[in-house]
Amino acid sequence: MTVVTSTTDLADIVKQVGGDRVMVTSIARGNQDPHYVEILPSYMMKVRKADIYFMVGLELDLWAQYIIDGSRNRKLEVVDCSVEINKMEVPIGKVDASMGDIHQFGNPHYWLDPENGKLIARIITRKLSALDVEGQEYYNNKLADFEQRVDLALEKWESQFSNLVGKKIIFYHNSWPYFAARFGLKTVDFLEPKPGITPSPSKLNQIIQLIKSNDIELIASETYFSDRVPKFIATKTSVKTVMLAQSVGALDGVVSYFDLFETNLRILSKAYGLEND
Amino acid sequence: MDKQIVGGLLLTAFLFGQTTINPDFSVIGDLIIDQSEDGIDLSSAGIEMVIQGYVNPFARADVYIHKHNDESALELEEAVITIERGLPLGLGLRAGKFRPDIGKINKDHAHLFPFIQAPKSMANILGEEFWSPTGLEGSILLPLPWYTKLSIGYFDEGFGGHKHMLNDKSNGDDDYQGKDEEEGLSNGVLSGRWSHFIDLNDVTHLEVGASGYSGDEKSLLWADLKFKWRPDKYRSLTIQGEVFQLNENREAHENDLNSQYDEENDKVKIIGYTFINYQFNKAWNMGLIGDFSTFDISDDEEDKYVDKSNYNFALFFGYSPVEESSVLRIRIAPDGNDINLMAQLIWSLGPHKPHRY
Repeated sequence: MTVVTSTTDLADIVKQVGGDRVMVTSIARGNQDPHYVEILPSYMMKVRKADIYFMVGLELDLWAQYIIDGSRNRKLEVVDCSVEINKMEVPIGKVDASMGDIHQFGNPHYWLDPENGKLIARIITRKLSALDVEGQEYYNNKLADFEQRVDLALEKWESQFSNLVGKKIIFYHNSWPYFAARFGLKTVDFLEPKPGITPSPSKLNQIIQLIKSNDIELIASETYFSDRVPKFIATKTSVKTVMLAQSVGALDGVVSYFDLFETNLRILSKAYGLEND
Repeated sequence: MDKQIVGGLLLTAFLFGQTTINPDFSVIGDLIIDQSEDGIDLSSAGIEMVIQGYVNPFARADVYIHKHNDESALELEEAVITIERGLPLGLGLRAGKFRPDIGKINKDHAHLFPFIQAPKSMANILGEEFWSPTGLEGSILLPLPWYTKLSIGYFDEGFGGHKHMLNDKSNGDDDYQGKDEEEGLSNGVLSGRWSHFIDLNDVTHLEVGASGYSGDEKSLLWADLKFKWRPDKYRSLTIQGEVFQLNENREAHENDLNSQYDEENDKVKIIGYTFINYQFNKAWNMGLIGDFSTFDISDDEEDKYVDKSNYNFALFFGYSPVEESSVLRIRIAPDGNDINLMAQLIWSLGPHKPHRY
């Protein structure tokens, strides 16, 4: 079966449960901002002969619909992987552009919690099994194995990196609520004054004062942002700056969904000066 | 004619579809500040209202309504139903009033340009808002390893029937309206394009196209090329150019009171433009645009809607301090022995949909 996904994270989970019965490619590269992907005709060619398209949903990959339409693939099954996720930060009341690029159905970066990875894998398995009935048992076995490996890894990470709990951190963009909640990080603020809005000088000044008055040790940003702003703040304070992998493939060595967490947790642990080897 | 066809299409959608879901509605506006001999002119290219949504699982509709500067009437710029996933064999269909798949720039709305004004030589031929007739267009994705599309359309009128020069205070006058209507009576035309899109690598892409047009006493051969290198979110280099050969029937040409061509020229004309645009961070881009035509523009005072130069060049800058849909553009261009400075502030209200390549 041929599968296309919006992001590399979904692609890796498809690989984990689809094994060698599935050929999968991703539209966005791991180091790309998944909010903004240019709608290239070559992406439509990828989707043209696919059986299934797995999208992130929650308005993260709005571009996917144009690629799907442009593919002219009438048989394509489109699956939104967010349907069973317990969404965080669902806005209450009227949502408008004064709030920045806010997602009206909740924060869409849900794959950054391994527990949500299991939910994604179940949705993927159901769809693969429905279209490839002969492979149903195979997919279910792969799913059980994936879930077991996630549980074991999560148990290890929560123990090994337990001293990250309560650590204060400033993120560039609000990509990390699921990750922070899972591993106990305390998000103090964001460099963006509102989601998707460029940091302003007054916001940077506010951040500098916040870091000084609250002894915040770390600013973390996604790999697709320039490090100019975090480094500028670092010159004015004692804060450290790191880049975290927002997706599989965003940093060297992050080649699987498990690497995503292992690498990010190690980067954070090292930046905070915690020894976990 | 346009209104009847488009109204019929939309009415069909409303009558036979049952849905409580509203389409997306957005508005794009601007302010233009232009340096002139009399001082500073403030104007607008107009307000564009866009309504977009799915009619059913297979078809979507896009409606663009334009309110021009200094004109009271709203103008329907596009109202089109597009079917892309509902037909077999990689076929697609567009029906209504829309910008045909001919060349590259003809399909883009002005707010998507990195520069302020459309290339003058193209606007002089195609019309200020380019060619947006009423008709039907079919296309097919050819079964080749790369993306290649063949489109063929039949339309009710030829190009060039619509001109709105920026800051032209004569817009909307009776002569102008009459000219529009007169040109709308022309015979149907056929147009088509064969385009190819090639990934040179993950971040570098090339699109080439060849188009043709026949009817309305004219024929066209048209070539377009777009090269884009986009290594990351905030940096990109775009080089785009188009050139076309216009063949005009001399008899029809002589009957045209607003003719732009002198009789010494052959009836074959060459028109083209090219631009280079470099975005060097999230907020800033800059570039250079040049256009040319091989014919002289008439000095006839009655012909108010044409420029007087064969060659035009301009430097342009763009600044998006907050997000990409609100942008300040600056244009610096030679104007005789002087330099003309123009600025445009564009804003957008409503959903910001992703744009196709």
